[in-house]
Amino acid sequence: MKTGSIIVIWLTILLGTSQAAAQDVEVGKSLYKKNCRACHGPTAKGLASYPKLVGHPAEYLVDRLERYRAGEKFGPNTPLMAPRAKKLSDEDISNIVTFIVTTFE
Amino acid sequence: MKIGNATSLVTLLLGATVFSAPVFAQNTTSLKHTLVLEDLENPWDMAFLDDGTMFYTEKCKGLSVLLPSGETKALLGMGGSEGFASTADDLFCEGQAGMMGVAIDPNFANNRRIYVYSTSNMSTPHTNRLMRLEVSDDFSNVSGRTDIVDDVPYKMKASDHPFGGPGAHNGGRVRFNPGDGYLYLTTGDTHNGQVPQSPTMMGSKVLRIDTDGTAAPENTPPVGFDKRTYTYGHRNVQGIAFHPGTGTPIAAEHGPWHSDEITVLRNGGNAGWDPRPNMAGRGDCPDNYCGYSPNQMVGENRFARASWMPMTDFETYPSAMPPIWNNNGWSQGTSSAAFLEGDTWGDWDGAMVVGLMGIGFGGTPLGQRIDVLQLTDDGTEVIDVTEMTLPMEAGRFRSLVVGPDGSLYAAIDEGMIHKLTP
Repeated sequence: MKTGSIIVIWLTILLGTSQAAAQDVEVGKSLYKKNCRACHGPTAKGLASYPKLVGHPAEYLVDRLERYRAGEKFGPNTPLMAPRAKKLSDEDISNIVTFIVTTFE
Repeated sequence: MKIGNATSLVTLLLGATVFSAPVFAQNTTSLKHTLVLEDLENPWDMAFLDDGTMFYTEKCKGLSVLLPSGETKALLGMGGSEGFASTADDLFCEGQAGMMGVAIDPNFANNRRIYVYSTSNMSTPHTNRLMRLEVSDDFSNVSGRTDIVDDVPYKMKASDHPFGGPGAHNGGRVRFNPGDGYLYLTTGDTHNGQVPQSPTMMGSKVLRIDTDGTAAPENTPPVGFDKRTYTYGHRNVQGIAFHPGTGTPIAAEHGPWHSDEITVLRNGGNAGWDPRPNMAGRGDCPDNYCGYSPNQMVGENRFARASWMPMTDFETYPSAMPPIWNNNGWSQGTSSAAFLEGDTWGDWDGAMVVGLMGIGFGGTPLGQRIDVLQLTDDGTEVIDVTEMTLPMEAGRFRSLVVGPDGSLYAAIDEGMIHKLTP
């Protein structure tokens, strides 16, 4: 089973209880602010040449982060994304994606 | 429950989670902060009339105006935009390109003219154009579009570079110099190695023109250059301001992975950016552009980078204009510049302010901020640089403009225009 599938399943389980989910959203919010916000914006709608994150399903966001983390080069912003993604654990990715998909429209 | 249905969780999660307003810095100066506009889409530039009327651009939407009454009017939309008095179907946005700088004619009271720089698909290859427009007496619409510059290059296709999508490096600032009365337009290299030193391609230049787009007769570019050229050999100039004492233009521009630069411009001067392959000891580079090389996708010591691909190549161009500030060798997205004026600014009266958007790459500190640069009286050297302590959260500072009230207005990509008042 691919790691991405595991993360998505984990996300599903985490989101099954509101208290746990809220806690992880808070963690995701903190991680988003530290790692993502400066380029993708406070509402994840994208800024300048940095793409929007809203409107994508969690599977897509997880897949992208995992591919950047794995060192795959794709898209013009790889040099900015790869170093950040490499620092993220599966749990970090889960929390960030949870925050994005449950917070922004 | 599928994560794809996460929308259904939002209400639940919001009930258990406090999504507070942005937390402002505690250590503020005495600057007062007013949020002028919010919920904009990538605001790019502003221009003021004496009564406070503010024209502003949004990169993918178009030109609007905020009246002293507080009412906003959407004047000229990009292709596909809705809610504007009129739209221009040839105007479009892509990547860094779109509607950018705006300036007001010094004789606006009589001719109602403003000038707006935008990307256009009217011709192929597409170009960036400087449009002259006339504003109706009631500020409800614009008309009489005349493209006084129609040939600034635009990057049509993606390339193998960081930020390598179409639309890269258009420059974009438009300003009148109170000292000489001419209109200045800053442009960028479009990730094309040939553009910066080209005598005829109008990217990587600072153009000095009149309001018809004709070259200022005082321009002294090298023989064979387009006479509109005031300076050339730039990378991507998004900031230009004029020293209040001398009227000398001073440019602020992005570095590649190193060396943002502030440069006092010299008529006919070369800024020394030449990212062509097989130049200055370099070999081939991705898609014939060495601008981010070597190891363009990997973080590397900024001084080593500067040695290999200098922002200002004095070895090749010994008479190049020297920068007076290089951001300590960092590249953090220098975008806009203005001079503070007025006694209320105290010691900062006459200081230059520079906005940085922030680029956290390869160990570079993000650096979103406004810097205050104290210059010598003649404006040719930097005495001191101080980071402005902000009374609001920092952002991607795209445009800085001093308004008629003496306040500093700051547009950030996040969709806000702030007012900072001493």
